[in-house]
Amino acid sequence: MTPVDPMRSALAMILAGGQGERLYPLTRDRAKPAVFFGGIYRIMDFTLSNCANSGLRRIYLLTQYRSLSLDRHIRLGWSIFNAELGEFVHTVPPQQRMRTQFYQGTADAIFQNIYVLQMEKPQYVVILSGDHVYKMDYRDLVAFHVERHADLTIACVPVPRHQATSLGVAQVDQDGRIIGFEEKPADPKALPDDPEMALCSMGVYVFTTEVLVRAVIDDARQDTEHDFGRNIVPALVAGSRVSAYAFRDEHTGAPAYWRDIGSIDSYHEANMDLVAVEPRFNLYDDQWPLRTHMEQCPPAKTVLSASNPGAGVIDSLISGGCIISGARVVRSVLSSYVRVERDAEVTDSILFPGVCVGHGAKLRRSIVDRGVRIPPGSCFGYDAEQDRRRVTVTPGGVAVISRVAALAENERERT
Amino acid sequence: MKKKILVVEDDKHQRVLLEMELTRVGYDVICVAGGKDAVEKVATEPLDLVVLDIGMPDMDGLEAMQKILDVDRKLPVVINTAYPSFKDDFQSWSADAYVVKSGDLTELLNEIDKALASTTRPEAAEDEGT
Repeated sequence: MTPVDPMRSALAMILAGGQGERLYPLTRDRAKPAVFFGGIYRIMDFTLSNCANSGLRRIYLLTQYRSLSLDRHIRLGWSIFNAELGEFVHTVPPQQRMRTQFYQGTADAIFQNIYVLQMEKPQYVVILSGDHVYKMDYRDLVAFHVERHADLTIACVPVPRHQATSLGVAQVDQDGRIIGFEEKPADPKALPDDPEMALCSMGVYVFTTEVLVRAVIDDARQDTEHDFGRNIVPALVAGSRVSAYAFRDEHTGAPAYWRDIGSIDSYHEANMDLVAVEPRFNLYDDQWPLRTHMEQCPPAKTVLSASNPGAGVIDSLISGGCIISGARVVRSVLSSYVRVERDAEVTDSILFPGVCVGHGAKLRRSIVDRGVRIPPGSCFGYDAEQDRRRVTVTPGGVAVISRVAALAENERERT
Repeated sequence: MKKKILVVEDDKHQRVLLEMELTRVGYDVICVAGGKDAVEKVATEPLDLVVLDIGMPDMDGLEAMQKILDVDRKLPVVINTAYPSFKDDFQSWSADAYVVKSGDLTELLNEIDKALASTTRPEAAEDEGT
């Protein structure tokens, strides 16, 4: 008899309950996984597309803060799984079955949903984050875990050491077994063959179910931060079989593209990765379709470009329903129904759905929230001091124009 | 200082038996007949350990254990049940020990000793004075 496909006995638990404070004000009205990305997507779509493409189609999505738009997106865009084949994606808000508090950390989120594991009885649990941008075939990851007889397998990528201080850093032996693990170390340990790079956890885990259950239950009885990276992984490294799965591009063997959208600057950079002629992250790969929910839109349109020298669209993603009217758009990402009016300039920017950039306004390295109207002639991203008085400006100098800031600005314009 | 144990048991005979035996071996024992009362006791009285039945009419032991641990995550809990099958329920894995009831209380007493020895929480008697 052929062995059972391990994916059939695997269950995905996607962590989507964080507050997303570091993405504020983009997370003022939505959970981080529901933040728009790449014009037509929400960040969550990349992990869910990976699940769908990998045949990992039993999915629990653990939500918590400000989950309304995420819930709606999942319902409208991801009701594609076939219940008759045992496939599903369920969003689960905190059930208060085990504790009366909200999730105290990533491990606590799993602990508080032990009932789900009891009900589903998977052999393996794949723990994923709802705020990562990457394409991974989880079949390879789970197969690796099974082949290694591991208790826990952690997907890892090499990252320059100076960037590794915000990630979990693993030390591995010659067989790829993790023998040390530090979360957010001040001085990340280098890879044995490359002193400039550290091996970092992607926060993508495969657990053998019983190991996971024991680990989160033990953790729940202790005073810890109830966090996978800080508590669960170091505890398991000490006494269990923990393996590192090297996440590589299957064609080149080089480390594959992976971005943790941890800050507005990294969010901005990851969007800019999409617009290059040969993008670092390719949305147009028909071997790995990226799904989303998209409302019906008329085609994107550019008008009055010929009569206005300098107007045009260069190296940008323009979603359906947009009208660019005698304006200049360069290296930018425009969601649906954006209007850019005559003589406006939009450069290195991200515009959420329904944004209107008024006549002659200029935006550079800016992110504009849904439905915001940028007043004609106004300017963001050119004078950091002036921007800081009006809107949020990130450490990397990106101006974020939220709905509240825009309303205040429009009021100011009128008075 | 005597360790204080809460016995949660809906069967009166079992409750009396446990109270007598645990008192005989030197524990300070209080008893309640159901899960809801147990949760209330844990919230109001300093305790060193809970002996918890599972099959109880008002609130089952598995549910009560999570509510008890929600109040005090480090309070040792020893499940004492007639049913071995709940051992497969992940919720029962939160207990420090799982004992299947029998006429001989040796295993239960051993597990209570072990759980008390391995705990790092301050003693109930110390709490009382603060």
